[in-house]
Amino acid sequence: MKTWLCCCGAHWTSSGVMSEDANPAATPSPCQDIQGDGRWMSLHNRFVSDSKGKEPDVLFVGDSLVQLLHEFEVWRKLFSPLHALNFGVGGDATQHVLWRLVNGELDHISPKVVVLWVGTNNHGHTPEQICGGIMAIINVIHQKLPHAHTLVLGLLPRGKSPNPLRERNASVNALVQAEVASLSHVSFLDMDPGFILSDGSIAHQDMYDYLHLTPQAYQKVCQPLHERIKSLLDKHAP
Amino acid sequence: MCALSMNSIFLLTVELLNFHSLQSDLVNHCCSFPLRQHVRSLVVLCLCCRLRMSAEENPAAEPAPVIDVQGDGRWMSQHNRFVQECKDAEPDVLFVGDSMVQLMQQYEVWRELFSPLHALNFGVGGDTTCNVLWRLQNGELDNIRPRVRKRFFFICSNSFNSICYEVKCVFNAGIAFLFVFPQVVVLWVGTNNHEHTADQVAGGILAIVQLLLSRLPKCKIIVLGLLPRGEFPNPLREKNAAVNNLLRTSLPQLGPVQLIDVGGGFVHSDGTISSRDMFDFLHLTASAYRTISTSLHELLLQLLEETPQERRASLV
Repeated sequence: MKTWLCCCGAHWTSSGVMSEDANPAATPSPCQDIQGDGRWMSLHNRFVSDSKGKEPDVLFVGDSLVQLLHEFEVWRKLFSPLHALNFGVGGDATQHVLWRLVNGELDHISPKVVVLWVGTNNHGHTPEQICGGIMAIINVIHQKLPHAHTLVLGLLPRGKSPNPLRERNASVNALVQAEVASLSHVSFLDMDPGFILSDGSIAHQDMYDYLHLTPQAYQKVCQPLHERIKSLLDKHAP
Repeated sequence: MCALSMNSIFLLTVELLNFHSLQSDLVNHCCSFPLRQHVRSLVVLCLCCRLRMSAEENPAAEPAPVIDVQGDGRWMSQHNRFVQECKDAEPDVLFVGDSMVQLMQQYEVWRELFSPLHALNFGVGGDTTCNVLWRLQNGELDNIRPRVRKRFFFICSNSFNSICYEVKCVFNAGIAFLFVFPQVVVLWVGTNNHEHTADQVAGGILAIVQLLLSRLPKCKIIVLGLLPRGEFPNPLREKNAAVNNLLRTSLPQLGPVQLIDVGGGFVHSDGTISSRDMFDFLHLTASAYRTISTSLHELLLQLLEETPQERRASLV
């Protein structure tokens, strides 16, 4: 089978499936049910069945930062009016989101904009691998939804004090931003309104566990996001 | 008491008390406070033996910090923040546990119902009983500054000693200042103990309760029952229910401790849990938190309004 090598290290086949030996972050993988209550698969199945009944203009897909957004007032105020669906799953890394999108979550909908926010849970992967995973997801979205625009959100800093994961996430953002610059159907949005204070710390008023956003922090990041999505929808309109 | 062997403590307690019919008010009424505390410790020891829950045997009762495998030290950062937080606050209510506790503070219901009760939230996502135990033993109870509740004119020196055990009392220039520690602790933990059996998880919760009773005088404890989880029936639902059953009868025997089961109503007649109640079939939505918070809030109001008769009597 012919494969193409993407500059981020992901191998592509003609069907869009990643070759397994190249990049674990770009290899579709379901989450294993270690705990014993099958919650990950329940969520995936619910998203697949949701997608059969609804006609969203905007689809949010990603990890807990996407998922939790749905639970706060900001979703109802800013994104429900845009006819948005939320396919976020806490704990998901790029390979999990990839598996979900390849296995049904995009099959029955035609959103105009797909908002992708994933990568901070890719522990053990290099920035290049994580970028490759994000690019793999972008490619699957483009294959299944050729008319949709993908808006990739930058990974946020994390941890109370400076640490290697902040550097990793910043590297991923730089790599992805460079990758998508030449693609007309993708754009990148930096989501950090300045969470890192002058002493290098992140406040728990913004991230209650130095990773997940408080409702007030979601308000800060979602205003520009909302504006960007609206302008993309306007461009998309006939 | 430390000089006695575990075995003789066990036998002594069995002889003194009918284990199965022990009522907490019996302990409260017939013992003065210092002896009451020792009796409570003996009862806990008995329960631990009965559940085969000695600290050496039960991994769920072994205090353990979370190891930072991800690389950003978030767990320790949260712990350190809690240690610092209680230096400045004067909580009447302390919430302790896992993400079920932590997430509650992010919803409007916390600001409406629990902040006004001077509540602190020491929840950390992912925590097991071991992690909560470690946090409480390593500073999160150390600096809790008690709220000054009452000032009394000092009348009789005989009553002074008897109230010193109950609360810290400082006598200054004819006025007794009564310092009261958090009156209620709400404990909600256990659903993340994936490596442990129901017996072990119950034992871990008992160990936390024992620690709280020994460190916070006159504190009342509400233990919230573990919720069902997963979209469909599964082994974790059975395990959590088993933990609740084990705690239901054993907790009140330790003292002013009760189990409140807020899980009723989440499982529908077809056995499913709705994502409107648990957005990921584990964590509660805003509306579900509101549902469970109503009864919890009422109970807290009730407990906070109670002023023990013996405390008033000893001050006259």
